[in-house]
Amino acid sequence: MKYAGLVLANLGRNKLRSLFTAGAIALAVLLVCLLMTMPAGLDRLISDLGSNTRISVHNKAGLVYSMPQSFTRKVRQLDGVLAAVSMTWFGGAYEEEGKVTFPNFAVEAEHVGSVYPDYVFTPGAVEDFVRHRDGAIVGRKIMRQYGWKVGDRITLRSTVWPANLDLRIVGEIADDNAPMLWINRTYLDETLKAAGRGGLGIAGIIWVRVDRPERVGTLMSEIDEMSRNSESPTASETEKSFISNFFGSLKGFVTIILIVTALVSLCIVFIAANTASMAVRERSGEIAVMKAMGFGRRAIFGTLLAEATLLSSFAGALGVAGAIALTRALKTVATLGPTLGPLGNFTVTNDVVTAGLALSLVVGLLSGLVPALGAARKPVVDALREVF
Amino acid sequence: MAPLRGVRYPLRMPPADPFPGPPPSAPEEATLIDIRHVSRRYRRGVDEVHALEDVSLRISPGRFVAFMGPSGSGKSTLMNLVSGLDRPSEGEVVVAGQSLGDLDEDELAAWRARHVGLIFQFFNLIPVLDARDNVALPLLLTELGKAERHRRAETALRVVGLDHRLDHRPNTLSGGEQQRVAIARAIVTDPDLIVADEPTGDLDAKNAEATLGLLRELTDAFGKTIVMVTHDPRALRFVDEVFHLDKGLLLEGSDAERASEAIRLAAGGHASAGARP
Repeated sequence: MKYAGLVLANLGRNKLRSLFTAGAIALAVLLVCLLMTMPAGLDRLISDLGSNTRISVHNKAGLVYSMPQSFTRKVRQLDGVLAAVSMTWFGGAYEEEGKVTFPNFAVEAEHVGSVYPDYVFTPGAVEDFVRHRDGAIVGRKIMRQYGWKVGDRITLRSTVWPANLDLRIVGEIADDNAPMLWINRTYLDETLKAAGRGGLGIAGIIWVRVDRPERVGTLMSEIDEMSRNSESPTASETEKSFISNFFGSLKGFVTIILIVTALVSLCIVFIAANTASMAVRERSGEIAVMKAMGFGRRAIFGTLLAEATLLSSFAGALGVAGAIALTRALKTVATLGPTLGPLGNFTVTNDVVTAGLALSLVVGLLSGLVPALGAARKPVVDALREVF
Repeated sequence: MAPLRGVRYPLRMPPADPFPGPPPSAPEEATLIDIRHVSRRYRRGVDEVHALEDVSLRISPGRFVAFMGPSGSGKSTLMNLVSGLDRPSEGEVVVAGQSLGDLDEDELAAWRARHVGLIFQFFNLIPVLDARDNVALPLLLTELGKAERHRRAETALRVVGLDHRLDHRPNTLSGGEQQRVAIARAIVTDPDLIVADEPTGDLDAKNAEATLGLLRELTDAFGKTIVMVTHDPRALRFVDEVFHLDKGLLLEGSDAERASEAIRLAAGGHASAGARP
């Protein structure tokens, strides 16, 4: 502690350089902290979106391949299955847009409510959906995007099926995490039959609701085993897994960003080490004199390392504080609009704070190590000879 | 200048030995510095440089001595050996009863902190510290608290007549004042030996005289032993004894007298100058 005054005085020797170095470290730590919130934020987002008792069943060959609709009925009969609903991609383009701008599926109206009891629908929506063959239930985000309201009539032109469906909006899914539109499967089936296409005999995805989370694994195996020797073998996964697979590429992107951030941190180590080396070189005369006075290798090494570490730690604390402030600001921004909602999932946790501070400490130690060791190890007479 | 009048010095106030570790036993001999057949050689590229060859000398406590000689004569090498900054290739250097060859690098550093005060040509103060903190710097190696360190630094600055400049940083002090701060820094630990390397080399005539006078007073008033390396012929009027060196050899007898005469002549009007008896 008695060297604190000397260390602080030396840090204030070139204020601009100390400021720039601290700024670079603070920004790097802020960046690392923000990026470290991303995996946890995505997990939180997926957890919010997915249920742990809902299974997605799709063709093992991929989502673009279908399964026979009859398989949905077989699944429903399995012990432990509370409900199952098939969803088939309609690919409907809103007439004013001319292209598919939101996901829309043909679903079994009488089963959808049982599979999604956690969804909040406008009152009477599910009942009206069952009652009205041309009914449609629409996610809140889409309703807002197009300015629709319950009771409005819209037309969707399928880009997959030879069908233009006139729809009546009978309800809204009051959840920003469900940006989709459901139409009644029967309506599409009958329309196709009327067009001489033999009806809708396939299912794209079957969503299954299981009675208990611990049965999910067994049921997934059972379902896949049941279809193993059929023309459409299936692959089942939990809703969380299904959604996280969708985010898989994003997670890979996060990994790349984390690698880049690690490299940036390494660059910061080198920049800080260069600054520390310059500072030591500029003061080689003073260091030589201090050694001549009797300051030992440990004292010289300790004070120089303390300078680098103190500066870096201070900057790291600023960076962490900046990350906390920024994520809090994002949370506030997230409440301003439904499209900004996911921003609220990114939180600087205690682990991230610890990692940020540890990073700054390591940057300080690594950057100060080489110049401090060099200065401490040099024999005093050589140090004096170089200077005088 | 009589800055020492009324100043309580030396700084041997409780604790008498503020340095960590056991206090050294006081030397009983009448010789503070005993250099015995010392040679110093080092390599410069492929060449071996003989900086000192078989030098022996003794310096008693309370003496103000000068090492003089042309560049490359070995006087700075000898100073480095006396102050424990360097080790001889051959021979033995004993200061205050301690054979410096027995100490490793860290022990030598601790020994210097306790026994040697150093003064340099270019003052070498820390620019970001004020005069008081510069002087108190060597006391960081002691076990004294901050208040006591400051108190002793202020006393040392009073000794050199700069107690009115405590809070001034080096860049606000004149060259002469900076050198006096450096002298205060050298005496603040109350060392047995003060070693000065060309202390007047960067000063004008007036400040050079004042600095030499101050060093003389430190010897007279407090019995300090001072070893000074210098080219300055003015030093002859202040020192007790001059050791002349040339090409790594200590000049003795008529050679030393001729060297002294040459310096007196170089000093021009100071023909009466000479080392004090």
